Amino acid sequence: MTFHLWLHRLRVMTRKELLHLGRDTALLLFIIYGFTIDVYMAGAGFPFELRNAPFVLLDNDRSEFSRELAGNFQPPLFQLVADVTVPEMSQNLLDRGKALAELEIPPDFYESLRTGRQTEVRMNISATDNVPALLFTSYAEQIISNYGFETVGMHHSGLSESGITTLPVVDDQLRIWFNANLEDSWFMALVELFTIISILSIMLPAAAFVREKEKGTIEQLRVSPLSPVLIIVPKILSMTMVIIGGTFVSIFFVIQPLFDMPLSGNMPLFFLVTAFYVFSTAGIGIAAASIVRTQGQVAMLVILLIMPMLLLSGSWTPPEAMPDIIRICIIALPLYHYFEAGLGIIFRDAGLGQIWPSVLGLSIIGALAFQFGLWRVQR
Amino acid sequence: MSNTIVQVENFGKKYKRLSVIDNVSLSVGKGEIHGLIGPDGSGKSSLLKAIAGVLDFDQGVIRVFGINVNSEKAAEKIKGRIGFMPQGLGQNLYAELSVEENIDFFAQLRRVPQKVLETRKARLLEMTRLEQFKGRSMKHLSGGMKQKLGLVCSLIHHPELVILDEPTTGVDPVSRRDFWVILSQLLEEFGITAVVSTAYMDEASRFHRVSLMYNGKLFAQGRPEEIRALASGSVVIVRALPQAEAFTTLKARYPQVQPIGHHLRVFVRDKEPGPAEEIIRNSLSDVQLEECYSLEPELEDVFVALLAGRNGHNSTGPGITVRKTREIKAGEGSDPAIWAKDLVQDFGAFRAVDRLSFEVPQGEIFGLLGANGAGKTTAIKMLAGILPPSSGDGRVAGIDMRKAVQSIKSRVGYMSQAFSLYEDLTALENLRLYGGIYGLSGGLLKERIAETLALTDLQEHGSELTQGLPMGVRQRLALACALLHRPSILFLDEPTSGVDPLGRRRFWEILFHLSREKGVTILVTTHYMNEAEHCDHLVLMYAGCSVADATPAEMKRALQEEAGDLLELTVDRPMPVLELLASNGFGDAAIFGNCVHLLTHSIDETISGVRLLLESNGLPLHKARKIPLSMEDVFVYRVTALEQHTSEGQLA
Repeated sequence: MTFHLWLHRLRVMTRKELLHLGRDTALLLFIIYGFTIDVYMAGAGFPFELRNAPFVLLDNDRSEFSRELAGNFQPPLFQLVADVTVPEMSQNLLDRGKALAELEIPPDFYESLRTGRQTEVRMNISATDNVPALLFTSYAEQIISNYGFETVGMHHSGLSESGITTLPVVDDQLRIWFNANLEDSWFMALVELFTIISILSIMLPAAAFVREKEKGTIEQLRVSPLSPVLIIVPKILSMTMVIIGGTFVSIFFVIQPLFDMPLSGNMPLFFLVTAFYVFSTAGIGIAAASIVRTQGQVAMLVILLIMPMLLLSGSWTPPEAMPDIIRICIIALPLYHYFEAGLGIIFRDAGLGQIWPSVLGLSIIGALAFQFGLWRVQR
Repeated sequence: MSNTIVQVENFGKKYKRLSVIDNVSLSVGKGEIHGLIGPDGSGKSSLLKAIAGVLDFDQGVIRVFGINVNSEKAAEKIKGRIGFMPQGLGQNLYAELSVEENIDFFAQLRRVPQKVLETRKARLLEMTRLEQFKGRSMKHLSGGMKQKLGLVCSLIHHPELVILDEPTTGVDPVSRRDFWVILSQLLEEFGITAVVSTAYMDEASRFHRVSLMYNGKLFAQGRPEEIRALASGSVVIVRALPQAEAFTTLKARYPQVQPIGHHLRVFVRDKEPGPAEEIIRNSLSDVQLEECYSLEPELEDVFVALLAGRNGHNSTGPGITVRKTREIKAGEGSDPAIWAKDLVQDFGAFRAVDRLSFEVPQGEIFGLLGANGAGKTTAIKMLAGILPPSSGDGRVAGIDMRKAVQSIKSRVGYMSQAFSLYEDLTALENLRLYGGIYGLSGGLLKERIAETLALTDLQEHGSELTQGLPMGVRQRLALACALLHRPSILFLDEPTSGVDPLGRRRFWEILFHLSREKGVTILVTTHYMNEAEHCDHLVLMYAGCSVADATPAEMKRALQEEAGDLLELTVDRPMPVLELLASNGFGDAAIFGNCVHLLTHSIDETISGVRLLLESNGLPLHKARKIPLSMEDVFVYRVTALEQHTSEGQLA
């Protein structure tokens, strides 16, 4: 078989896959949604910031000091939903999920502080959703201790406002690199984009392959002079083209303009690594599709594969925070390597010199999955 | 009116504003087996569902037991009194449940009391001979057994009316006959009325009355013989040399000419057998006439004639002419196109194909005939190079299939059961794709596409999406895709399932053209017996083995010598006749509607003997005549004998 003929068949088959996709309106809409609206929502959703956290105040003191303390809990971080007088009422709001926290100030608050006695305030925090609860706790602790230190402490020591500067303090000078304003949206949007890329690169070739099995057209291809490589590669190739196109749109027309994200890295290298990632992940999809019979089964299997990949690959938790055994396992996940490489290129302007271990990891995983799929098709 | 169970008046149904069924009226009397006959997509299923009260419809009135089924509430009233079996093998059953669990489930659903259930179940299992498979899960039953179980489940609550949607589709001829006998027995015993649909024209004789449907319209209704009388005429079978010339000559004068193996089959309208033969002989004065005889027309001839009359044009579209015939010469120096020797395919412990050997000369239409699971598809897959054989040798187009699978692949065309087309591509896009796969491009591809489209008469469908095309057109498109690279050998795996008679005839004409004019060798698998008649040569497969290897005519002759001629008895009540015959030594007798068929060596003696026997038992015999043997008779006889042999072997 001449190389020219091989190339001709590859072109014919790839065009066929693109035609299929072009006629599948539902799938097209899903792809467009994933690369645009979904990525935008992930970036704009600010899930890790405290915004308008509802709290209820039970002020038993009603003094100058208590009002001053409560007044420190201000929008946009906090939102006072009720100022109640009996504990049952605040309890009720917490129980119904209307308030995230309750701040209870004891009746002798003013008196204690004025006379220099120690006093305490109570915070009840609803940890139904633990992320905002955690954030609330740390902000509240900071506010209350500042209040104690600055306002009350100074008062008590008899220092003036300006006197504070004469105290010896350790001043921490933070330098935040790569994302100077700690913009959540950049990271979140990129993580979502990588997630979409992962889902599509497993799902699209797998679905295309299983559809041929369901319709019996695979048989027709197998009696033709096509080699198994020529049955599989065009599916992966066409879907890689589509995904790279989607990624391009997502980065240059959604993430960059809408979130003002600087693209300091080597973008051609990023797209190259992405193509590489899609190709190896598609191999996993084909391998999965080769062992099932229907579209429904392949969808379930893909969910089964993709959930741990997303959970463990470092998008939601850094790998360093995971148990040792899982940290070893995640080396087998292509998404982990892609995260390392992709985020490295975009945020840290990493070159091939820095990301080569990830590229090597991707190649090994991709080659194994592809071989497995090929072996299954031949049988 | 009390005797009318189902009354349909001006029924109509639209899907997406497209009228699918229009103005259909019919009535079914008590105790009647009414057949709805028509190809796929003619509207049978929709009508049956509407009668069962599970489908809304747009126009007309349907009365079941005198109740107007026009609302959910009305439908609820009749549901307890009817049984419904949807289309598809075991479609209403639960694959994971055993035979008995399935029956119990349906009985509980219908609230059949436990005691009644036990007696009914025992009787039904006995009649359907499913007794010994009680504990087997439904998914492990054969197609025929699934349908019998489906029937049991829809009869367990003793409905007054049973509605069966294509119960015999996809079931092999032996199980089909068995199914019809059991159905007639059950209906007779329990006094049940039945409405049954089928796509097989040759099953018409199984019914008391039939309604012929096509394209959502009813165009004939009545007893089978009444319908036959709608287009009177005779069928003349000729064998003339050269066949192609005779075909072209006849085709010019008679719209209904079919090549059947080495014979031609002509339907001559409005002529008695004698004059019809005379006319055909005269028109074939230029060629050498070897054989010429006439038959009674079958329902399919009438169906095609009625359709042609209705559409007002040639029944099979622009006729395909065959200019010259390559006479097939077997075993004369030239290599056979396909040669198989002791082919074996094992799937684990199961042997799907067992030492299969045969030879196909170039240019022959060769059939692999067998029930579902007999190993036909496995055999064709091995020869087409998809499935490496476990052992044995084969040569396709002179190439050893064990050594050079790839070069075989570029010389053969293959069409699979499901017409493997890409439904979201247009007809032209499908053709371009397959052309490209076989390495065609540019001007050559265009030329081949034009040529193939002309041959398969698809020009007008080129830019239509495949999913919208009717089955007959899809079938020709699949054939076109397999022909683009001009293969010298064509493999066709059950090519005509679901295609209407007109489409089937057109398809076989194309195959005839390919074989006779282009010298293409065609290997086709089928379990449709009337398709087997088209083949030049047949191999009958049973349980993976070849059990007969001859031409269709030879096979019929062998059966005739072994078991005798086929005698048809027309009676009033076939069921008691059958029982009477069975108890008097005619064990092979089978019921066809109001007729009973049996094989005998001495026609005249048997007729007088049977007449005496029946009349002394008060059963009048209206008509007794010899009818020609069909491939179905051959198949059923052979396979039944083998099945008995196997089960005796198991017992011993």
